[in-house]
Amino acid sequence: MKKTSKLQYFMIYAALFMAVAWSIYPILRVITISIRPGDNLLTESLSIIPEDWTFDNYIKLFTDHPFGTWIWNSILVTATVMLTGVTLASTAGYALSRFRFPGREASLFSLLVTQMFPATMLLLPLFIMLSSLHLINTYLGLIVIYSSTALPFCVWSMKGYYDTIPYSLEEAARIDGASRFMAFYKIILPLASPALVITALFSFMSAWTEYIVAAQVLWYEDMFTLPIGLKSFQANMTTEWGLYAAGAMIVSIPAIALFLFLTKYLIGGLTLGSVKG
Amino acid sequence: MIRYFRKRRKSLSHFLLQLIIGLLLVSGLLGAEKTTLHLWHPMPAPSRAVLNELVAEYERMNPDISVHLLYKENEEVRMAYMSATGFTEGGPDLLYGPSDFTGALVEMNIVKPLEDFFTEDELSEFDPKGLTWYQGHLYQIGDELGNHLALVYNKRLFAEVGLDRPPESMQELIEYGKKLTLDKDGDGVVDQYGLVWNFTEPFFFMPFYASYGGWVMDEDQNPTLNNDAAVKAFEFVRDMRDVHGIIPIECDYDIADSKFNTGAAGMLINGAWSWAKYMESPHVDFGLAVLPINNETGLFPAPMIATKGYYMNPYLEGEREQQVVELMKFLTGADAQFQYASRLATIPTRLEVRERPQIAEDPVIMTSIEQVSRGRAMPISPQMRAIWDAMRPAYQNVLGGSMTPEEGAVYQQEIAVQKVAELFEGQDVDQDAVNISAIIVYLAGLLLAIWALYKLFVAFILPLVRGIPGVQVQESRFGVLMVAPAAIFIFGVVVYPFFYNLVISFSNMGLTTVNDWRIIGLSQYGKVLTDSQFYHFFLRTVIWTVVNVVLHVIFGVMLALLLNRPLPGKGIIRVLLILPWAVPSYITALTWRGMFNIDYGAVNIILNKFFGVEPISWLIDPTNAFIATIITNVWLGIPFMMIIALGGLQSIPQELYEAASIDGATAWQQFKKITLPLLKPVMIPAITLGIVWTFNNINVVWLVSNGGQPGDQTHILVSFVYRAAFNLYRYGYAAAFSFMIFIMLALFSVKFMQKNKATETAY
Repeated sequence: MKKTSKLQYFMIYAALFMAVAWSIYPILRVITISIRPGDNLLTESLSIIPEDWTFDNYIKLFTDHPFGTWIWNSILVTATVMLTGVTLASTAGYALSRFRFPGREASLFSLLVTQMFPATMLLLPLFIMLSSLHLINTYLGLIVIYSSTALPFCVWSMKGYYDTIPYSLEEAARIDGASRFMAFYKIILPLASPALVITALFSFMSAWTEYIVAAQVLWYEDMFTLPIGLKSFQANMTTEWGLYAAGAMIVSIPAIALFLFLTKYLIGGLTLGSVKG
Repeated sequence: MIRYFRKRRKSLSHFLLQLIIGLLLVSGLLGAEKTTLHLWHPMPAPSRAVLNELVAEYERMNPDISVHLLYKENEEVRMAYMSATGFTEGGPDLLYGPSDFTGALVEMNIVKPLEDFFTEDELSEFDPKGLTWYQGHLYQIGDELGNHLALVYNKRLFAEVGLDRPPESMQELIEYGKKLTLDKDGDGVVDQYGLVWNFTEPFFFMPFYASYGGWVMDEDQNPTLNNDAAVKAFEFVRDMRDVHGIIPIECDYDIADSKFNTGAAGMLINGAWSWAKYMESPHVDFGLAVLPINNETGLFPAPMIATKGYYMNPYLEGEREQQVVELMKFLTGADAQFQYASRLATIPTRLEVRERPQIAEDPVIMTSIEQVSRGRAMPISPQMRAIWDAMRPAYQNVLGGSMTPEEGAVYQQEIAVQKVAELFEGQDVDQDAVNISAIIVYLAGLLLAIWALYKLFVAFILPLVRGIPGVQVQESRFGVLMVAPAAIFIFGVVVYPFFYNLVISFSNMGLTTVNDWRIIGLSQYGKVLTDSQFYHFFLRTVIWTVVNVVLHVIFGVMLALLLNRPLPGKGIIRVLLILPWAVPSYITALTWRGMFNIDYGAVNIILNKFFGVEPISWLIDPTNAFIATIITNVWLGIPFMMIIALGGLQSIPQELYEAASIDGATAWQQFKKITLPLLKPVMIPAITLGIVWTFNNINVVWLVSNGGQPGDQTHILVSFVYRAAFNLYRYGYAAAFSFMIFIMLALFSVKFMQKNKATETAY
């Protein structure tokens, strides 16, 4: 790519500045709600930091509610889902990218199909199923459902990325005596790190903020994950907006941290090109 | 057990084993002695605190019982109870909720009659309004008469304009409202309104309807919505806004609540549940009054009153049942009710408690009781749900100006009659036709299952055993084994719910047939396809999906391209751009709703300041409301596509660009010939799934448009089916509707994927 000129830099930064402003303004409003006393969702003032700002809501989360426990529960569930998602998607995506077996096209398509049924209609039968398997009030039930909702996209995304990696790499490894699995594990998987990052982020996010299924499965407050805990501040017409917003901000912190950590690997600067060229 | 013990007493190891088993048994018995009773409730935070204390006290008095409380929001607790108790015979022992749950719970057979657990003397201690009888049985024991609306006013703001008492007639209400509506800083925008309330919701319209002599249904539960009273009441509310200008143009619950709570409104109409909050507000000098008399008719507005109280699980038996009754008696007992009343100013259902001095002399409770005496009990039959759903669009259309009050009245009656019929559909089915179609459906299902198993065998089992032609056995085994775990996971979860819905979609399952539904063939599909609204909302959903996904992809790829170069500060910019994905959408979507407010929303202010655009009524006009939901969803979806594109860009070798540059290709040519084609394999799956998710994205639409407002016009297919079918317990119809959505998406995806050759590899 040609060298970027000063004018181009200016334009790029101007565009990015606008995009950033657009992307963070609504979130600044959420922060405003969270540091405003008196549980008001709306305000007529445009200022981000209200005059009578306070961190009370953040403190209350931890003193009046088992928020710490909820965070821990969420981490437990989400980490497992992420691990399952990354492991199963990286292997299944690889097979779907590299092998031509009779069920391949059908498998790829039926993965997509599972996403097409309106989720609201799946809740009741899912509940019936979990309850007859005695998985109500267990994290296992939750983890299985979350993984299965995250996996179709993850598999597709991994498969799509593997498709861009040339066969010649594995062939070279096989000639050097590596087994099929070792060629995948040692050569291809590291090269697919951008897709692994996407898979990890996606499975994390689909478990981290989910509450509809969680609310059906978990009946004990000390088992709650963050999002259902958060939902307990919301009530028809009597929502505790301050707590709700403060909770939402805290929910986002681990997500943001993970983004920060993982996006480093997203732009991995891998030297794919030298092999491809 | 004892005999076994004697025989083997010589052996030490057996003795030890016995000891351990014995200890386990004892500890097991100790554990079993403590019974856990489950109670689900929708109590807001202040009442929840009282309930927690009461339960703790009960557990102290009954050491062998522990009570487990679970809070869920009103609608959610009803639905969760229905799934748990109606479909798995489980669920909590007690359900707390308003009396309007009764009809549906009884129709679904999931609530226990209570009259046998109480003596007549015990029952006579309650206000009759506190006991909910339905079809000859007692189903709910109330601990509070509540949910009634009254007039809350801010004494401080009243004093500022020289008023010293609440209005006593509607005429006065308007006069006072005018005095209290002020533009304090003289910028042409009203800073303080005379009156605010959630006037777009029919529940908050009821008192006015009643003050003109109207009521929602007659004695036979038939809707009575098309009359003079409806027309007059529509006009009255509309004139308060358009003629007298004492209420904001746009006002939902949260706007009204925030305005009054921050001292930006003189009066507020709100329910008993909300008052405690205003008493504590530093901006409010709390005053409560009954809704003032209607001068025209001489009638008082009658708010709806709901008894709040306990329902019992029908599957309880024996000792546990007795324990639950005891708990219920405690929670509805005099001391418990006194706690609620003295701390939260609720109206107790026990007459004795109402007479205790601390309660009887409380000014808020006194006014509250007076208001209740002028109210009317909320109907508890399931028809009420259908009536709300009919009134809402009519009323909002009248307020939005797309219907005259007369047209609104006709419309709401027509829709109500139709929805009530739908609520009870499926009861009269032709037995012979039913049997034949059941046989056909089951046969078809069997064939489908055989076919699927055969396919599965050919696709997976065969390669595992014999290998794929042209590929080594080992290789094909490796392939199948790598796919299998993910496939088992996904389909293990999906198969049952999918076939459940498939079967239900051929059935007549609805409110009255939950327990004895039958296969009736294709008639639910027929109903879906002959409904013109299906096509209307289908078109809308297509527009919604296309606009959203196109904008997601364009902006996402653009930002990724900008970020995919050495750039100081790139890391932080990237994270800031991802934030809309990281912060839970259930709060940001609501924030967006606030930003679309006509007067104070950031969107209008920015448009006005920088572009001189006149204020746009984002949430009142159906088209604008639809655009508002799209803007919100575009905001939410860009980061995802950006991340995918960033990942995809990494797979493109730099050498290709270098070579192209040497050949003299322009930047645009490079983008078109190199970037786009090589980005495609990574983007196509994301786009396909993006389309599917957006098509079925109910949350954003629901939150931004507040459930399809105005007038149920801001729907996409999934939110429409939720509102019009699922919400009215039409499970069979909703399943058929969902299958139509499913089939359309599946057909589309096949075409889309084939066109883009997504299953093929790039190399």
